[in-house]
Amino acid sequence: MALPTAPTTGHTVKSFDEDLRALRSMIARMGGLARKQLDDATEALLSSDVEAAEAIIRKDRDLDEMEMEAEAYAISIIARRAPLAGDLREVIAALKIGSIIERVGDYAKNNARRTSVLAGQISRDVHPGIAEIARMASQLFDDALTAFAQRDPFLSLEVCDGDEAIDDYYESLFQALLTQIAEDSTRTASATHFIFIIKNLERVGDHATNIAEMVHYSATGEHISERPKGGDATEISLPL
Amino acid sequence: MTGEAPNTVVHEDIALKTDAKMTARDVSVFYGSNQAVKNISIDVDSNYVTAFIGPSGCGKSTFLRCFNRMNDTIDVARVTGDIDLDGEDIYKSSMDVVQLRARVGMVFQKPNPFPKSIYENIAYGPRIHGLSDNKTDLDKIVETSLRRAGLWEEVKDRLDEGGTALSGGQQQRLCIARAIAVDPEVILMDEPCSALDPIATAKIEELIDDLQGRYAIVIVTHNMQQAARVSQRTAFFHLGHLVEYGPTEEIFTNPRADRTRDYITGRFG
Repeated sequence: MALPTAPTTGHTVKSFDEDLRALRSMIARMGGLARKQLDDATEALLSSDVEAAEAIIRKDRDLDEMEMEAEAYAISIIARRAPLAGDLREVIAALKIGSIIERVGDYAKNNARRTSVLAGQISRDVHPGIAEIARMASQLFDDALTAFAQRDPFLSLEVCDGDEAIDDYYESLFQALLTQIAEDSTRTASATHFIFIIKNLERVGDHATNIAEMVHYSATGEHISERPKGGDATEISLPL
Repeated sequence: MTGEAPNTVVHEDIALKTDAKMTARDVSVFYGSNQAVKNISIDVDSNYVTAFIGPSGCGKSTFLRCFNRMNDTIDVARVTGDIDLDGEDIYKSSMDVVQLRARVGMVFQKPNPFPKSIYENIAYGPRIHGLSDNKTDLDKIVETSLRRAGLWEEVKDRLDEGGTALSGGQQQRLCIARAIAVDPEVILMDEPCSALDPIATAKIEELIDDLQGRYAIVIVTHNMQQAARVSQRTAFFHLGHLVEYGPTEEIFTNPRADRTRDYITGRFG
């Protein structure tokens, strides 16, 4: 399918262009903050920095507020401009992407919350795995935000493909943590926290995909045929 | 934005058929040497409301008027190509134009009731077309037509009052009732709401919803939201060309032609 060309001229009503630009920049700022929260949360967790974790938890409120602002702005554009075609898709995509980013912020906050109970328990056998899945999730999320900033449907497709590696990595970590519990029941509590943490990061990968899907729809008007989002770990059982 | 002939983009799922209620093939309209409509082919189907949209001067109203030969009344206008109603060429010399205009009714931008009573506005057509020869039948036609046009409850106690004494919105519904009274197959509407306030407009749109399926309806409108609300098919015209023709939902969420996109998103010119 040939991709539609982007409009080469602005709206006759120039303030409409301004509105769309402002909405995009609100979403971009949210994305930047969520990515920072995500990276900071991983850093705080791995270095057992409880104070930094608390700052992250407090900072999440900013994201919530930014999402409400972006939502109100999108609604006002719909009410005032009655956008159509690519403009309509863009506003709807911004609405959905805003709430996805807010959700990613929640995962960062949730991981930060686990920092205090896990402080001093990040053993050498779990540290690299968590660092790696966090890096992968953060990178994919960043790619999704770049696709949004550049309205790039091709990068969107790459993001969707990239999620599979995170799912696979998650499943291997999940398996390893289950084994840890089976071998040493004193580690059950910490391993369970780690499972939630890697699940949160795996979900960030899914949300990066969701953002990429909306970017693709916004740019082309076509939905990406959906790949089942993996990372269910529904097939994994305790080793015998 | 250039003036060269674009290829018409017709969405696959509404490819032209031979058994549509009305078919237009390679239709052009000339005003003297000026070509206002350029080789347009389109179907008008009974099951759908079709909206014609486009900037002023794009040829949409001129094209609409071909469907019941209203352009015949303009001396310098010349129509070429084929337009069929149920497979019958409406431009053939033996076509009874009065009969044609009963089968293909028209509602105009400005309501134009006859300077007669509400009752007579409706009864006139059926009487001259011989649809009814007695008062009882005629009364029934008047009531049914006014009911279908959503006007009966408002005027049933004052059928003898002048049609021109009604409000603008009521007059427009009276004109729709008048078109319905002669049992048409197709109703053409040329910006039927552009002189009406939003409440009267909503009533006409509700009426179009009710009439959909019973008649093939074509509406020319400048109001894009209106086209999006009332129609299932949308055709976009520009500089006499049919640029794009597709399901309304697709035209307004994902148009394929750049010109359509630029027009409906307000980036034109």
